[in-house]
Amino acid sequence: MARILYIEDETDIGEWVTQRLMEQDHDVTWHTSGDKVDQHIQLSDIVILDVMLPGLDGFSLGRRIKRDKPDIPILMLSARTAVEDKLEGLGFADDYVTKPFHPDELAARVDVLLRRFDKQNELLQLKHLTVDTQAMHITNRESGEEIQLTGKQYHIFRYFLRHLNQILTKEQLYEGVWDEQYIEGDKTLMVHIRHLREKLEKNPASPVIIETIRGIGYRVRK
Amino acid sequence: MTFFRFFKSLQAKYMLIILIALFVVQFSLIISSFILFNADVGKLERDYAGVEDKWHQDAGDIQEISKETVVALFRKWKEAYPEASMFWVNHDGRLSAELDTGKNLPEEWDAAYTAQFIKNRYDGNPFTVVAFLGQKDNRGFIVLEMPRAVMDNATSDRTWVYLATFLVLLFLFMIISLFFFRQIRKRLLNLQKAMALRDIDNLPVLIEMKKDDEIGQLETAFNTMVNELRESRQREQQEEQLRRELIANLSHDLRTPLTKMRAQMDTLTEEGMSDDGQQAVQRLEESISRVDRLMENLMSYTLLTASKLKYQPEETDVIRHVRTSLASWYPLFEQENFEIEVDLKPFDHTHWLIDPLWMDRVLDNLLQNIIRYAKDGRYIGVTTETTRDHDAIVITDHGPGIEHNRTERGAGIGLSIVDMMVQQMELDWDIESDAHGTAVRIKKQKNHDGNDGM
Repeated sequence: MARILYIEDETDIGEWVTQRLMEQDHDVTWHTSGDKVDQHIQLSDIVILDVMLPGLDGFSLGRRIKRDKPDIPILMLSARTAVEDKLEGLGFADDYVTKPFHPDELAARVDVLLRRFDKQNELLQLKHLTVDTQAMHITNRESGEEIQLTGKQYHIFRYFLRHLNQILTKEQLYEGVWDEQYIEGDKTLMVHIRHLREKLEKNPASPVIIETIRGIGYRVRK
Repeated sequence: MTFFRFFKSLQAKYMLIILIALFVVQFSLIISSFILFNADVGKLERDYAGVEDKWHQDAGDIQEISKETVVALFRKWKEAYPEASMFWVNHDGRLSAELDTGKNLPEEWDAAYTAQFIKNRYDGNPFTVVAFLGQKDNRGFIVLEMPRAVMDNATSDRTWVYLATFLVLLFLFMIISLFFFRQIRKRLLNLQKAMALRDIDNLPVLIEMKKDDEIGQLETAFNTMVNELRESRQREQQEEQLRRELIANLSHDLRTPLTKMRAQMDTLTEEGMSDDGQQAVQRLEESISRVDRLMENLMSYTLLTASKLKYQPEETDVIRHVRTSLASWYPLFEQENFEIEVDLKPFDHTHWLIDPLWMDRVLDNLLQNIIRYAKDGRYIGVTTETTRDHDAIVITDHGPGIEHNRTERGAGIGLSIVDMMVQQMELDWDIESDAHGTAVRIKKQKNHDGNDGM
């Protein structure tokens, strides 16, 4: 559950999105303009902004929020699909969804952002594991044992959890965790993933927690 | 105003130089005379007329005629002209004084002899000047004799002075005119360089005008032109901005009702309805997606044909780029139960000079088409291919082929966009399609000179 601040001037769309997000157990505050953002921003985990708003437009509003509260993720929701608009939006926002969107897609993207910003305190059930994403406690439900990870393993796994359900290429993973340029042919990442699987998987030879997507990369899926 | 302008012009300066050239001869005469005049007159007054005048003048200037005054005069002249000989015949016709004459002159000078003497010496050698003493005629006369060889030598010295002055002036003139033209040439070359300079917006830079002459006017004209160019560029940008905004707003205005439709349909589904109703809603849903995609493509196409979609190429690791793009498409194919085969091997030159956003668009269009029109094949393969002539990304499906795909016409515009973008990125592409599938190759030709694009 997250507290969502949603700004949308179209009532039809606003009502619908609010309802759908509430069905996903989120607490949604919906406004038709950005006038009262300042009062609510303190109590929000994520902001969803329409671009075309009366008064201050979504881009300016988003920039202001990001400047004051850089740790609150912003998702732009817009019918403006030009590349320039997307680029302008992504200059400060954390995601950009174009209308007409599917409500499930929006919900999924909200989840991704919440995870990326560690805003979601959830007990994740991954196959036979239970993961407390905020404390990063990993428990094997079948044996009841807690699994301890070394520094790099921990970082890699946390990166996976922040990008849950996303496929990560080995370049993305390496650069996300090590923070340096991946060099083609480097085996470091593969070695770490093998060790990680030995700790997490029931059968490391056919992994189900960290899937291998052949030719592309890896994925951890809920 | 125009009068002053004329004096600042190159034409005026050039005319001045020509005038100077015309007067070089006269100038050289004036200047040499000036040089000669300033030198010691006694020594250098050596042309015939000058010597004659001076002898007459000195003879006339003697007030008191006596042997002393005449001899004093002779001595003075002897100092100035050591080669000269002189003598004096007094009013009685008697030879009264002589200097270096050779002693063969008669003592008595009657009128007949004097006339004969003058006649003999006229234009003869030595050069002879006869002058009466004092202001009156009957005081006798003094004679100056000078060998013509000495006089001629002296004259040729003078000619030298004239010639040298003339040459110096000529040389000076040549330097000035050379300098004048070099100056013009230099300024023209600078102007050319300045005109070739480009600002960040790829327009020429304004030139600083230094002189108000013809070249200065050229510079002003050039600046005017640059300003006009800038203005027109600005207008063009404003128009482009307007067009973009129009398209963006149009897009917004069309999509907002689509979103509302989807919202209403979603609510309908939630209400619960018959199977037929569910199916109808499902179809409507698909139509909305299709209209959305068509609109997107139509706008890209409009922008692309008007060359309004900015192309920003950069060295891109194409393998990595394709892989990242596939990572985001993977779940969609997975959801549709596609068999997915990805095998991307690095090329020798993996970095292509392309616009990554455009490449994304190309891949999006191709992959979108597969999901939309080749769903039946349940297969997508993305592989690399290297031949002698090209490196290629190959996207394969097992769909019914493009020819068999006339039920939905959406593929066309998507492929037109692919075609335009691929060509703009200086890549090639081809489609092989039959009833059992389609293979699209995006190719980069190899440069066999050994340096392909890196």
